[in-house]
Amino acid sequence: MSHTRLLFLSFVIVVAGSAQADLVNKNVETVVDISSQLAKISNKVTVENVGKTTLKSLIFGVPAHLKERTSFVTAKVGEHLLRVTETKLSGQDGGFWKVDLRSDLAAGRTLQLNIDLVLSRALVPHPGQITQKEKQLVLFEGNVYFYSPYLTEKQSLTVNLGTNSVESYARIQPVSQSDNKLNYGPYEKVPPFQEERLNIHYENNSPFLTITRLERLIEVSHWGNIAVEETVDIEHQGATLKGSFSRYEYQRESQSGISSVKSFRTALPASAVDVYYRDDIGNISTSHMRVLSDSVELELRPRFPLFGGWKTHYTLGYNVPSYEYLFNQGDVFVLKMRLMDHVFDDMYIEHLITKIILPEGCHSIELTAPYAVERLKDTLHHTYLDTKGRPVISVSKRQLVENHIDDFELRYNFAKVLMIQEPLLVITAFFALFVLVIIYVRLDFSISEEEEHSRVDREHKDK
Amino acid sequence: MVQHGFYNFLNWFDERAWYPLGRIVGGTVYPGLMLTSGAIHHVLHSLNIPVHIRDICVFLAPVFSGLTAISTYFLTKELWSPGAGLFAASFIAIVPGYISRSVAGSYDNEGIAIFALQMTYFLWVKAVKTGSVFWASMTALSYFYMVSAWGGYVFIINLIPLHVFALLLMGRYSARVYTAYSTFFILGLLFSMQIPFVGFQPVRTSEHMASAGVFVLLNAIGAIKYIQALISKSDLKALFLTVAAGAAGAVFLGVVGLTYLGVIAPWSGRFYSLWDTGYAKIHIPIIASVSEHQPTTWFSFFFDLHILVGTFPVGLWYCIKSINDERVFVVLYALSAVYFAGVMVRLMLTLTPVVCILAGIAFSRLFELYLKDEDPKTPIDEADSEGDDAAEAIAGRKLYDKAGKMRRMRHEQPSEPTSLGANIRMVSIVATVMMLMMFAVHCTWVTSNAYSSPSIVLASYGNDGSRQILDDFREAYYWLSQNTADDARVMSWWDYGYQIAGMANRTTLVDNNTWNNSHIALVGKAMSSNESAAYEVMKALDVDYVLVIFGGVIGYSGDDINKFLWMVRIAEGEHPKDIRESDFFTERGEFRVDEEGTPTLLNCLMYKLSYYRFGELKLDYRSPAGLDRTRQAVIGNKNFELTYLEEAYTTEHWLVRIYKCVKSNLNVVWRPVYFIIALFCRVKKENEFNRPRIPVANRVIKGNRLFVSKKVRILSYTNEQEFLNAFYL
Repeated sequence: MSHTRLLFLSFVIVVAGSAQADLVNKNVETVVDISSQLAKISNKVTVENVGKTTLKSLIFGVPAHLKERTSFVTAKVGEHLLRVTETKLSGQDGGFWKVDLRSDLAAGRTLQLNIDLVLSRALVPHPGQITQKEKQLVLFEGNVYFYSPYLTEKQSLTVNLGTNSVESYARIQPVSQSDNKLNYGPYEKVPPFQEERLNIHYENNSPFLTITRLERLIEVSHWGNIAVEETVDIEHQGATLKGSFSRYEYQRESQSGISSVKSFRTALPASAVDVYYRDDIGNISTSHMRVLSDSVELELRPRFPLFGGWKTHYTLGYNVPSYEYLFNQGDVFVLKMRLMDHVFDDMYIEHLITKIILPEGCHSIELTAPYAVERLKDTLHHTYLDTKGRPVISVSKRQLVENHIDDFELRYNFAKVLMIQEPLLVITAFFALFVLVIIYVRLDFSISEEEEHSRVDREHKDK
Repeated sequence: MVQHGFYNFLNWFDERAWYPLGRIVGGTVYPGLMLTSGAIHHVLHSLNIPVHIRDICVFLAPVFSGLTAISTYFLTKELWSPGAGLFAASFIAIVPGYISRSVAGSYDNEGIAIFALQMTYFLWVKAVKTGSVFWASMTALSYFYMVSAWGGYVFIINLIPLHVFALLLMGRYSARVYTAYSTFFILGLLFSMQIPFVGFQPVRTSEHMASAGVFVLLNAIGAIKYIQALISKSDLKALFLTVAAGAAGAVFLGVVGLTYLGVIAPWSGRFYSLWDTGYAKIHIPIIASVSEHQPTTWFSFFFDLHILVGTFPVGLWYCIKSINDERVFVVLYALSAVYFAGVMVRLMLTLTPVVCILAGIAFSRLFELYLKDEDPKTPIDEADSEGDDAAEAIAGRKLYDKAGKMRRMRHEQPSEPTSLGANIRMVSIVATVMMLMMFAVHCTWVTSNAYSSPSIVLASYGNDGSRQILDDFREAYYWLSQNTADDARVMSWWDYGYQIAGMANRTTLVDNNTWNNSHIALVGKAMSSNESAAYEVMKALDVDYVLVIFGGVIGYSGDDINKFLWMVRIAEGEHPKDIRESDFFTERGEFRVDEEGTPTLLNCLMYKLSYYRFGELKLDYRSPAGLDRTRQAVIGNKNFELTYLEEAYTTEHWLVRIYKCVKSNLNVVWRPVYFIIALFCRVKKENEFNRPRIPVANRVIKGNRLFVSKKVRILSYTNEQEFLNAFYL
């Protein structure tokens, strides 16, 4: 396996090396949105094939310091998604992706495509500790130029800050600030792999909530119900609270604790019913549910406001009808559900574990995930009226953002006759019980006769 | 227990409670409750029913109350009739006095103990009736379960001997009683000693000596009865007197002598407080500080029992009127339970079942009298004489018409109210049914209003009827559990010990199992000294966080300032040099928090922690800043800063305030020193005569309800520690 991958890589490198000369980014318009806790970079790229051969793919990347922070990458032509695979370039330590074009790019032709990246943890609170009164300042270290193995003829960059209070920003001329935007460029003739730190120090009070662990449990019942339960660990990973927390100030002054999080909204599927929201010590009484036309919106308020460095943990569960997600043809079933779901806007999940519990007796299970996930070992789950246990499929993935919300497909075989196994079990058990009672009532198990006993008793009394 | 197995549970040393002393859990709790829930959990899981141990704990009490109703039925049936049994069972099913302990979520020793109590009594009555070893052994088994569940087993082990003793005095000795009691006593004694917490107490404490004495006496009498068959009557009389007197004297002297020598422990402080209600107030403030240990008021009698209070003497009278062996028992049970319930609110619980039984008897007798005639309503005129009572009809048929009629005429007037008119009968039946209905309504009302609301969540109703939920306790506990170090030590008054341990899972200094008075006094001392002195204590105790309950913003009356005098009193008991109760009262003998309060109070730690930055808070536009709603006073000391502590968290309604202790490195030096002091204190305490090594019976004290109104009684999570024990072990 690794051997073939190696081969593949070297092939890619060769391709890249040759492609380097053939492609030119004619025009790149980059918009960086850092108004939330994530940095969303969208590039509108026009490429031109200046070589002589027809090209099937192209390559783009991020500098080394952003490599680990890139959570999500897509490339589109118009509305069509392109296949993106991670790759490496020799002599470069940045992160690179190869985009397979839908149609070949003939020599001399141009193509416009949109390349979007979502960076998590790219905004670092600076200073790392603030008091309750202070506002949260964060430092963004991006890259000014579109990081590409090709020459970029013209590039402009717009940074959307969501605020107009900026402490400092990289002055790479030409640059101008207007309202809550920074405009860089246009820059001409940017050589390949050009790095220039885009440092912006500004105020950002949006919720810096990180889901440190999300465990999503999907329990499928063939009787028409799918139960979903999400166990969430949330931590506020913004600037940590320094000194004491004063409830007085928090209540009196609206500016106090502005970066803290009081509540957030979770969107559930429109058909979700029986929603519960609780933690280890019971129901959390501070939540509201609104049924909208296309979703059920929950306003979740943790038991306490979350300041920097504070954590909380809760469980959210609901039921959805299975006809929306479970399809079958004969004994072959397909479950099509989201691998993860929305928790709050601009969320960031460090570690996701999704477990799918299928009914007892399912076999030949095949999982198709929308992106690469780590499949954990299958286990068995024992619950009411189970004999040999239900198969549990578990997958795990790290570093996810909202864009990862996508459907997986799980195909399995299940004989429908098995559905009546459990009712039969109950019927048999009760039948056996009643038979036992009937036998017990009809038969006399006493060793001696009752009369004798009471006679002895009477004799005692007489004495 | 579920996770670690039974034997680890018995050896469990809980270092998270009573820091830095720790607590040996296996040896200091009645394991019945945990074992029961653990067993249920085990059985359900082996059947693939994945019920969480928490849910089992929550529903244990209701399930056991159902079993209690069944055992009450059997007991009453043995005593009187199935009809009375039905009445008794339905009474106990709804009576508030018992509901208070059996609502879902009250995971409590008492919940299963009352079932064990009723079962033991039923089996005992059965054993006395039949005289069979089988039933007596069953009684002993049931008694074993009771011992494992609740300290109240002492009640059984005194009541049953009392019953036997009364039977002997009444000349009702029989081989049945002899068999039943001998079997029960020996087996029961052996069984009860198997519980680690009880250990050798049954042979070493005065509470258990009555049973041994009765056992000796019973054997003496048994021997005499045997001799009776062999020698003449006059000889026997002399022999009987000498032997009986000799045996009684020997037993008594033996007990006294052994007590004097220290082999048998004298009665514990709590036992004394049963006889003398003033005793606790003088000697053991910690017991007196619990509202459950206050004498019962008439109000709570009526509140908990309603019409049963009025009707149970009737049942008692019926029992006395047609007495037999087992009715002697219920009479004694009733009388003793009434007395104890009068002494302590908490013991209302033991009274409730017997009241239900006797009221059941009374009602069933009443209905028997009034309803029996319902069918012969027409035959009341002379036309046919066959109708009446079955027995009478047989008697009447043997004689001729005339004689039958005459007999009835004579006999009816005094005893049976059959001569009453149909209307009067109807009226009285309707009145009784109405009374029963009102009882049912009352029970429902009490249950829904007083006992169903979990105290951990307070609910208030706005003018428009909307409900507001104050979830501050859980808010604070959850904050502690999520945002403090795992080994953080939290100092609070002992009422909240179990709650902190259970919900926040943090180490506590003192908790509801008040076994170490001096440790509690130390916490009391810290709370009632000024900040720097308190800091020394806290440093010595290695405290990280301090938690206080403050109701001044929402007008919650059960807060720490209102309990504060108890802290002072308990602290004064141990540290009379540092803390004086009189310092906290004004010259006119008032306890006030406003400007006229004493400087000692206005500068003590508890005051500062409760009112930190409260002086700036205006609750509404009209009232001045710093108005305490609970005490309706503007606080006296407004603008102060804390030197050694900083506010870590305050809940939304300021109900719970948590402070962080700013530490210095002196701890390392102080800890061992404190350890030695603490150990020394403990050793000293235990040698003192009658110092509560906290009393055997009812060791688990419930939350302090002294200032808590009936509506917000701390019910649902009173025994979090017990809950946890089952949960984690």
